[in-house]
Amino acid sequence: MSGIVDYNKVSVLIVGGGSAGLAAAIQLKLKKHDLDVCVIEKGGSLGSHNLSGAVLETQSLFTLLNAASPGWQNTDQAKEIFANKIDRNEILFFPGRKTSLNISPLIGLAKIFRLNFGQMIHKDDYSVSISKLTAFLGKIAVSLGVEILTGFAANDIILDDAGQTVGVKLVDQGLDKQGNRQPNFLAGEIIHTGFVILAEGCDGLVTEKFIEKAGLHRQRPQLFSLGVKELIKVNSDQYKRFTAGRAIHAMGYPLWTPVVGPAMFGGGTIFAADNDHLTIGMIVGLDFKYRDFNPQDALALFKQHSFVKQFIEGGTVVEAGAKMIPEGGLCSIPRDAGGYIGKANCIIAGDSAGFVNMLKVKGLHNAIDSGIQAAKAIHESLSYPRQTAARYTTLINCSNIAKEMESARNFRQTVARLGPLFGMPLSVLGGLLPKFKIEEDYKALRAAAYRLKPAASFDKNAFTALASTSHREDQPSHLTIINRNTCSQKCTPEFNSPCITFCPAGVYDTVAGQVKPANPSNCLHCKTCQRKCPFDNIRWTAPEGTGGPKYKRL
Amino acid sequence: MSNYIVLVKQVPDVSQITGNAFDPETGNLIRSRLASVINQLDTHALAFAGFMKKISGDDNAKIIVLSMGPPQAQEVLRYCLARGADNAVLLTDKALGGADTFATANPLACAVKKIVKDFFNGSNDYFLIAGMQSVDGDTAQVPPQVAEELSLPCIAYATDARFAEGGFEFTRIISGGNQAVAPATTPAVITVAKYDYPLFASFSAARRAGNTPLAQWTGEDVKAVHVGVKGSKTRVIRVFPPPKTSRKCLNAPYAKSLARFIVDSLKSDSGGTTQAAASADSGYLLPGKRKSWLDRSFEGSDAEIRDYKILADKLQMLGIGKEAIVDEYTKKQILDVASEHFHKNALDDMLNGLQLTEPTYKGEVWVVAEQHNGIIHPSTFELIAKARSLADSLETNVGVALAGFNLGGLSQELIAAGADNIYAIDDKILAEFDPAPYRKAIADCINKYRPQIVLFAATPQGRSLAPMVSYRVGCGLTADCTGLEIRDSSRKGQIGVLFQTRPALGGNVFATICTKDSFSQMASARPGVFKRLPPDNSRTGKIIQHKVKLSPNDKSLHILKTELATGSVHFNADIIVSGGRGLQSRQNFDSLLKSLSIALSGKFSTPVEIGASRAAVEQGYIKRAHQVGQTGTSISPKLYIALGISGAIQHLIGVANAGAIIAVNSDANAPIFKSCDYYLVGNAENVIPELIDELGKL
Repeated sequence: MSGIVDYNKVSVLIVGGGSAGLAAAIQLKLKKHDLDVCVIEKGGSLGSHNLSGAVLETQSLFTLLNAASPGWQNTDQAKEIFANKIDRNEILFFPGRKTSLNISPLIGLAKIFRLNFGQMIHKDDYSVSISKLTAFLGKIAVSLGVEILTGFAANDIILDDAGQTVGVKLVDQGLDKQGNRQPNFLAGEIIHTGFVILAEGCDGLVTEKFIEKAGLHRQRPQLFSLGVKELIKVNSDQYKRFTAGRAIHAMGYPLWTPVVGPAMFGGGTIFAADNDHLTIGMIVGLDFKYRDFNPQDALALFKQHSFVKQFIEGGTVVEAGAKMIPEGGLCSIPRDAGGYIGKANCIIAGDSAGFVNMLKVKGLHNAIDSGIQAAKAIHESLSYPRQTAARYTTLINCSNIAKEMESARNFRQTVARLGPLFGMPLSVLGGLLPKFKIEEDYKALRAAAYRLKPAASFDKNAFTALASTSHREDQPSHLTIINRNTCSQKCTPEFNSPCITFCPAGVYDTVAGQVKPANPSNCLHCKTCQRKCPFDNIRWTAPEGTGGPKYKRL
Repeated sequence: MSNYIVLVKQVPDVSQITGNAFDPETGNLIRSRLASVINQLDTHALAFAGFMKKISGDDNAKIIVLSMGPPQAQEVLRYCLARGADNAVLLTDKALGGADTFATANPLACAVKKIVKDFFNGSNDYFLIAGMQSVDGDTAQVPPQVAEELSLPCIAYATDARFAEGGFEFTRIISGGNQAVAPATTPAVITVAKYDYPLFASFSAARRAGNTPLAQWTGEDVKAVHVGVKGSKTRVIRVFPPPKTSRKCLNAPYAKSLARFIVDSLKSDSGGTTQAAASADSGYLLPGKRKSWLDRSFEGSDAEIRDYKILADKLQMLGIGKEAIVDEYTKKQILDVASEHFHKNALDDMLNGLQLTEPTYKGEVWVVAEQHNGIIHPSTFELIAKARSLADSLETNVGVALAGFNLGGLSQELIAAGADNIYAIDDKILAEFDPAPYRKAIADCINKYRPQIVLFAATPQGRSLAPMVSYRVGCGLTADCTGLEIRDSSRKGQIGVLFQTRPALGGNVFATICTKDSFSQMASARPGVFKRLPPDNSRTGKIIQHKVKLSPNDKSLHILKTELATGSVHFNADIIVSGGRGLQSRQNFDSLLKSLSIALSGKFSTPVEIGASRAAVEQGYIKRAHQVGQTGTSISPKLYIALGISGAIQHLIGVANAGAIIAVNSDANAPIFKSCDYYLVGNAENVIPELIDELGKL
């Protein structure tokens, strides 16, 4: 692409180098190889901000890769990523800390009766590291001529009067803690672009600004979960006993124990990774009501459960991280008045849109597929940029994404409304249920205490260290408390400053009697704080590029 | 108008080392498993060049980045192009691989000449800027050696620049202080110790960098003379994992437990630990002095010692004497009984080795003294002690090259410390340290007397002088050795050679290195690694006056101002409390360190001194005189307390001889936690008041 005169101008700009954005970039290059496509990613390298379970349904990805890079399966990188094909997918129920029931047959039964619940079991998937997968997709994209620029964080989007997107603005770099310009200050550049795909992942900063500026609307507020995950090196015997093709989803203890126990949505996971490594995950709906609860507490208890313990005892945690999941489903997808997922030449893909199928607890395959559809939509709209959003929405509606999202439509809301005990079984009725009125997660917090709270507090320092997160210290805090008085006068008396507890990286602390983001450089970019602060009093913005975690194998 | 050439290097990311980067069997770090990044100090160098360009007000100045490395090193050049560099050149060629600093400096210097021709139209008005050292090699040798090859002034350890009356002045770090200097001539080489504002990538420049093909030159393109393994003057004999630290590395969960540890550590008289012990005498004997001609117990590796033992057994069994082993028939006889152990060629080499009794190198063992204003730097005495034991093993004398002006009674001091011969170069031009006349004088002296070993102190002065001298006389140099031993490598025909052991890759591996293709074996050692001998005033020695023709034209620097530490810092105190950048502000630094040191000195009735990491000094929290570590002062108090210090390798080396080390840091991943006795994860601001409180209760 020599001969570019203005490097601040690009035909297609993809915000976010995750699975959705990279799939879109690859697909665009396959459709039109001379189109200039730029991907910007705030992480220091591809994959460093990507964390997922991840159980991957491979169909659309493999189709894309076959077209993009025939023979890709034979590369060492691909062999490593797809080393764990799932041949044994189990759903367990933990009634207490020592007991477990295998309820897979029940779910299997549901599948036979074509109940939505049956989707939970899916064969021929792979358990993968999304960090590795993302890095691999990046390599293929680059080989096709996609320009990937890592370490560039965007923080705003610019629309013209007609509602067309004209550019994206990057963050300012080189400000000191007080916001003064250092000698190396570099003002955030504006990238002028013909098309934008917002693929920032869950709760995207630019996406949310775009939704507001372009007048998009969610039928229901988005609901979130926080996933915390550890990669554990176990001994060969444990790994062999677990087997390399096994994936376990466990419900119940410690999030939800029948009748008298805590009642939270979510569950634990155990997946095999390559070479004597297992991943342990814990996903908890952010509509939990316990002010002293932190999903890492649940992770710690889960690891102590006798069923889990046998596989990981004596192992070493080698990497850890946390990330939010958008769980609202179909009615939480942002749309404009015409129902389009985006507006004019700017469209939203992947977790930024919220294409997670909560019946499968999977979104990765839909993220990839939505990226592919986004690319097709842009390719078909090259002469009519204004119709891109409409075209994209049609393509999504005709795709498998829409089918899945439709079937899982009310699941998460049902549970949110009725609680796990009644909600889960009732959700079998799926579409027959009325549309519940749903409130934002942060409103769910009560002064209640989590009864199973472990005696020793979770070692967040060790956890954060294993996420290898870092930011340049001398920059303005990228986390802001909107109104300090709310913290001291309302939140601390009523809830005892839950941000200090629920932030998985220990960003918040009381300094000189004031709750504040005392350690912003510990931030894992999960954004739980801005979705769970009971007074909606915290805002996350993008720090300087390359800041944040450095996930490699999560 | 000045242009700029910035030297950059791609290095393994030693800040992100995970368990699987180590070979499970040998324990060695596998370099290929680490991510490759740009050497961080080189980003400072690039920003420094940008800063010089800015303060000179010359918008047309060009910044060219130059790197030597494999094709992947393009990444670091693109990194620079995204951050203000105008052009980039990669020196890449299979023949250039495996080079030591000597064979790196030469092609780089040749490439600089080609850049001047191709990019600057032959204009010699340029500055060559480099980071002071790389994190992998950590030698700080290449920039001074490039300067030597190009005959340029070299200003090492710059931290700031000013532009006045059409020329640049630089502030740089010297032992125990700062100095303002200006190069006497341009071009000049500047190595940057620190520049606070590395540049950020711009989107448009990053895209341009990605879309622009880079100039790639081979060794032949630049007409390099000394390249690759062949052109190198040193070779790595073996690489091994660092010795396990004897530090306890215990986590203290509360301030209370920390207070208890402090009391205990001052009670038990646990002295310095790791490094000094490692340099204990080897008791080497030349083969001719050993009881048996078959004794080869001073080989460089255990495997060789074992092989020679087996061979000795076989020879004894067959009753073969020294004279007989050259005979082909006898050799066959030996092979018959030993073929399960040795291949024929190996046996040949070993038998040839057995013939050797004379040392490979001839001459004295030398130390290059460092003095300032008539005061000898303590490291010189430490090196003389080491040289003494090496020379005794080799049955030769200890010589000291002493350069300066009005040297007076210094020679006697050196003799009392263990030297036999003092080679004094007394000249007015040498009144103040300037690398150019100093290297000329020392190199001339070395060329004349041809010592077999030359030791330098790895102080800021030694680290710029040693590379230039060694390059000038064409000898190999190993920087920052922590171990120096005389060993044989009989199979390779080497007897009584210097095995130089040093840490690399940020202290994550150790390497033993030998000199090759040189008449002298040169090494530098960090201050504090060796222990000085008690002065013996009854010793006698010779003082040889060496005259070198020096003129004011030999000076490369104008020294404008020297700020040395006053005598107010007492690092011989029993307790040293140090602060780092983690203390966040000067106020915090002052109040926390003062209150803790007052509490400690009150509690234990002993003097307490305040120290600082280099980062804290750079932040302006305290004067340079308080800096602890490799570029500051090496210390050995009974108790060292580090607050908000992450523990860069340079700092850890400087405190390695402390009795007990206690660290407080909010980063659970701080490297210092792996090299201390007790640590507490927490914010010093909160911990210190509690600690003082708890100390009061005990």
